[in-house]
Amino acid sequence: MIRFENASVTYPGGVHALKDLTLQIPDGQMMVIVGLSGAGKSTLIRAINGLVPLSSGDVLIDDVSVRHAKPKQLREIRSRIGMIFQTFNLVNRTTVLNNVLMGRLHGAGTLRSLLAWYKPEDVEIAMRALERVGIVEKAYVRASNLSGGQQQRVGIARALAQEPKIILADEPVASLDPPTSHVVMRDLQRINRELNMTTIVNLHFLDLAKVYGERIIGMRAGELVYDGTGAQADEHVFRDIYGRSLTADDMLGEAAAAG
Amino acid sequence: MTAATAPRTARPSRPPRSLIGPLALLIFAAITWWAASEEFGLNFDVPRLFTNLTRGAGILAEFWPPDFSVLPRTVGPMLETVQMAIIASLIGCALALPIAFLASRVTSPNLTTYVIDRGVLSVVRALPDVLYALIFVAALSIGPLPGILALILFNIAVVAKLLSETVDGVDRGPIEAARATGAGRLLTVRWAVLPQVLPHYVAYSLYAFELNIRASAVLGIVGAGGIGNLINEFRRFFQYDALAVVVLEILVLVIIVEWISIWLRRRLV
Repeated sequence: MIRFENASVTYPGGVHALKDLTLQIPDGQMMVIVGLSGAGKSTLIRAINGLVPLSSGDVLIDDVSVRHAKPKQLREIRSRIGMIFQTFNLVNRTTVLNNVLMGRLHGAGTLRSLLAWYKPEDVEIAMRALERVGIVEKAYVRASNLSGGQQQRVGIARALAQEPKIILADEPVASLDPPTSHVVMRDLQRINRELNMTTIVNLHFLDLAKVYGERIIGMRAGELVYDGTGAQADEHVFRDIYGRSLTADDMLGEAAAAG
Repeated sequence: MTAATAPRTARPSRPPRSLIGPLALLIFAAITWWAASEEFGLNFDVPRLFTNLTRGAGILAEFWPPDFSVLPRTVGPMLETVQMAIIASLIGCALALPIAFLASRVTSPNLTTYVIDRGVLSVVRALPDVLYALIFVAALSIGPLPGILALILFNIAVVAKLLSETVDGVDRGPIEAARATGAGRLLTVRWAVLPQVLPHYVAYSLYAFELNIRASAVLGIVGAGGIGNLINEFRRFFQYDALAVVVLEILVLVIIVEWISIWLRRRLV
């Protein structure tokens, strides 16, 4: 269970990215966050694993405070939270497998990891993660030689290799074309259902949010303005979240939906 | 026709011209004049450069033909030069790696470490390698060891500076990804930063090796081992035809090293 308790984030420069947010996310939920750019979606996600420090309030994961965690505790917390990024954030110059093994660094032992002398178990976990996203045959290919969709699946495999309880995905499909977006979203949905990992996804395409979001929350100027199911979220709700009428740009289009 | 009828939107007005460019040029010219002028500087003028050049023609002529009979005597010192460069490059560049990471804002653990490391690097870089060689020769007596120590310092200064600036420019995305997995700072550098800068590091190290071969020609003159000792000897006894052989050898050696490093770099990037 993830609990936000009056959590606020103020960036140096005075931007209030998160304002007094109180929110509970039960285990195993697939939650989608929608809102305009600058609404605080990325900040919310990064507050969960402490990449963005809170200014006040707290975030608790299974009743452990992220804000008051010591550096070592914080790394421990992060090791149980996988993260997926809009720009994939892979190391292009090295192999897919090395990128995925990054997910094993926390527990692998400093000397072994420095020398790339991984335990066979860790390599096996990484391979299984690649298998789950269907690109295990690319394990020894350089990450830069993959397509965007494949790169994002490596990003997902890296998160899975952590064997996490929670997956955070910050705009995971914003750099992908519509069909690939659905492939990646379906991967996330499958992981959520089959592995029962709490999955929190930032999206700005409303139709994707409706299809994949078991629960949708809307952010506007750092505040929670909507919290409900995907089915309840109709055009009026989105208009409210966006503070304007909707346009074609807010939709991914391409009716190909998921199951 | 369409161009004439297309509606013309208001163009933005041109921002006022900055005076910084012309001013910088003016200051630059003034400084150059100061350095070359008769009153304050070196009284440098171009025609004299050429008239003086012909005066050296007599000495230059003595370089030709090279006296290849000294070749056997040059082999040992030349080999020593290469060996010095190899040892100094290996040690210097290895030490430069962690120092470079501590000297970049991206990978340095805190501001204090960063400032201290940068400061030390500036101080090390402030002295030329010949001065280091002089100091080490004074402290350790003549031979290749003081030369190697001087080259190690030189390599740390050069490679750590270049590499730390490369680290400043790496893609931060993988660093964020590594932090998000709970990896510590050292492993984040190892797996998110090092792969990004590795080809640059190899290129800088090879460049340092090239510079070392060149530098050891000078280092020998102050007694720090290598081919320089021999250069000094030939020079003192006006054996310019023998000196020509050494000059040719260095030329060939540097070109060979350059070829090897080009080949290696192409393989790595």
